Amino acid sequence: MTLLKVENLQLSIYDNPVLHDIDFQVDAGQTLGIIGESGSGKSLSALSVMQLLPKGSKATGSILFDGEELLDKTEAQMCSLRGDDIGMVFQEPMTALNPVQTIGEQVAETVFIHQQVGRKAALEIAAQTLEHVELPNSEFPLSRYPHELSGGQRQRVVIAMAIALRPRLLIADEPTTALDVTTQAQILALLKRLTSEHNMALLLITHDLGVVADIADHMVILRHGTVVDSGETGTIFKALRHPYTKALYEASGHVPERSVKHMLPEVLLDVNAVSRDYRLPRSGLFSRPDSFRAVDQVSFVIHRGENVGLVGESGCGKSTLARAILGLEKLQEGSITINGEQVLADMQMPASLRRQVQVVFQDPYGSFNPRHKVKRLVGEPFYLLDSPPAGADYDMAVTEVLESVGLAASDADKYIHEFSGGQRQRIAIARALIIKPGLIVLDEPVSALDVSIRAQILDLLAALSAQFDLSYLFISHDLTVVRSVTDRVLVMKDGRIVEQGDTEDVFSNPQHAYTNNLLDSVPVLPGADNP
Amino acid sequence: MIRYVLKRLLSLIATLVVASVVIFVAIEVVPGDPASYMLGLNAAPDTVQALRDELGLNASKVTRYVNWVSGMLSGDFGTSYTYRTPVSEMITERIGISGPLAIYALLLSTLIAFPAGIIAATRRGSVADVSIMGATQLGVAIPNFWFAMLLVLFFSIQLRWFSAGGFPGWDQGLLAGLKALTLPAVALALPQASILARVMRSSLLDTLGEDFIRTARAKGLTTRQTLWRHALRNALIPVLTIIGLQFSFLLAGAIIIENVFFLPGLGRLIFQAISQRDLIVVESVVMLLVFAVVLVTFLVDVAYAVVDPRLRAR
Repeated sequence: MTLLKVENLQLSIYDNPVLHDIDFQVDAGQTLGIIGESGSGKSLSALSVMQLLPKGSKATGSILFDGEELLDKTEAQMCSLRGDDIGMVFQEPMTALNPVQTIGEQVAETVFIHQQVGRKAALEIAAQTLEHVELPNSEFPLSRYPHELSGGQRQRVVIAMAIALRPRLLIADEPTTALDVTTQAQILALLKRLTSEHNMALLLITHDLGVVADIADHMVILRHGTVVDSGETGTIFKALRHPYTKALYEASGHVPERSVKHMLPEVLLDVNAVSRDYRLPRSGLFSRPDSFRAVDQVSFVIHRGENVGLVGESGCGKSTLARAILGLEKLQEGSITINGEQVLADMQMPASLRRQVQVVFQDPYGSFNPRHKVKRLVGEPFYLLDSPPAGADYDMAVTEVLESVGLAASDADKYIHEFSGGQRQRIAIARALIIKPGLIVLDEPVSALDVSIRAQILDLLAALSAQFDLSYLFISHDLTVVRSVTDRVLVMKDGRIVEQGDTEDVFSNPQHAYTNNLLDSVPVLPGADNP
Repeated sequence: MIRYVLKRLLSLIATLVVASVVIFVAIEVVPGDPASYMLGLNAAPDTVQALRDELGLNASKVTRYVNWVSGMLSGDFGTSYTYRTPVSEMITERIGISGPLAIYALLLSTLIAFPAGIIAATRRGSVADVSIMGATQLGVAIPNFWFAMLLVLFFSIQLRWFSAGGFPGWDQGLLAGLKALTLPAVALALPQASILARVMRSSLLDTLGEDFIRTARAKGLTTRQTLWRHALRNALIPVLTIIGLQFSFLLAGAIIIENVFFLPGLGRLIFQAISQRDLIVVESVVMLLVFAVVLVTFLVDVAYAVVDPRLRAR
């Protein structure tokens, strides 16, 4: 039986059309995957069903829920549907919960705003629901606050709020995008279990084909606010009949062409038994503060021209290690040398050393000063040089580096807001590249990008590495990406490197149980090789 | 939570100690000998010396500091050089006006600012928002003593509802006292309310854009329920900070308004004491104000922790 039927849905925001003739439907107990890149309108489609659209939106067409037209409902009627018959789960579990209320109160709220029950009864239902999403009350009492939980645990609380009243339709908007692979696998399994147990329909919105392949019965592929392809999941993956579907599929498993190892025997980076402790807040007023070891006795080397991957879950110490290599963290033990010269923390690090290592960060939106032109942003590392180029030489260097990352010389006079995410990441790479460092630390450089853009950036990185004999430390939680661009890989867990070796060896024949676990959690594209 | 409060208390005490030393030293380096000032230009040197002895000005600096602090702890603030009356009496009398005036003004300011800020934030861009923001702009810009004079012109001289100044004393009854403080409180509250309303609005707008507000809406809460149950408490932190700062300011900074309305408050007391080199009064009043400010900061810190559980662990 069709539970939700969307027909000819058109949406405009301040007369700006964003969705055109969207059609899809989902039956009870079934899962529909809605796939698209950023700006494709997948989230707006979901919000149209919830009628929680941004200001200035106007939706026409038809959204039938259980035979009733949602577009005709008043706000009050929608309020009684939301949370009761239709639940929704959002992308960012870290911010989706009210930080000043306990998880019990927040789950119970769903119950008592819809049902005439007392506070106690509502909390009782909340406790049951939290158990149901695998947060046992013994370990996670109702009195916990969101900041005391991890991302995956918070997402379970959000799911508990959405399913407390057993809605018939659950909308999940990128529910696992912000989570680690292992947590992602657990959350997906939970969603799968809940839909079958309660005969609930699930609308799963994602940019990740691997995620839907495993769980969706049907899928819809959106692009620029239009449905470009839809059908039964298996058929879509088998046929790949629409060119865009095919392009998405290929970009998802994209492996950049990399020349045979151009690695030189020279050791560029030597990390030797490095440990980093963080002081924890004092437990008593006068007691000595404890410390937390974020990086524990880590050793590895990177040769000139070598691309090394560093994988592990959030909180494993990847970023701390990267910061230590950049000279931004004081070490408690061990040493780091670049080209034989010792890395010292903070201000003690000499410019001669700093110019040998540069960094590209994850978020292309947050890592630029919005008031500077690209010319200045890209040329910033020049201050590390003894005699930085000036005037025409400066402009030429900027032009050259912009062209080498696939941008135009004319982009130098633009501001950063004029660029898309992918272009910004190219600018970030240009900025790292401009003083010709030996090593670039790439901290999740493609995680915020759409698959097709991601494929382009990976190609660019591979080409630049070959061209300039660049070494990379490529930090990522995305195993597929790491596999496609690195020669060697380090697997990190709880501050330690638990396994390292040639990328292919580690991925095809993992030795450590943790590596195995990570690899098993990666969603697999049907028909594609193993990741 | 208890640990958090204890830590704040410790820092409160430390601040007071540092402040007392700073005040004492600052007063010491100020030129002008109170004894010769009191006796006038033609006083004989030995008379001045005798008075210095009497006032305890000849003792060593450390002894004088210790005497001052231990005196204050036991409620003895010393004797005013000029008026020859115990400083504690003078302060008690003045604080009986300044304290209620500050609280009155702060209450008014909060009562105006909260609804104004909330209406402006929830109806962003509407006529109500634009007019409230315009009014607050004006409220910040108008000098409060001028506004005070307008109030006097209108309410005292035209309508004759309130007296134009002075304070009858609390022994004339609570109502009479409050009535005398009403116009000054309104004049003081206007700029404070304007600032507070703007902070409330922007803080609430930020909070209303948060993800958990959308989550609440997805649970089926109406916009009104979302505001009351989720947004307000989260928006309160910056507002509390401003309220704390405003109270401290109102306690001591009301001097101009006190002058306009002829109110014998703390601000006037300290102003007179400075011009008469009545250093013991200056020291004591300043120390008292520091104490009030530090205490309010402490209370605001505790309020933070009550509002936001994330701060309790610190």
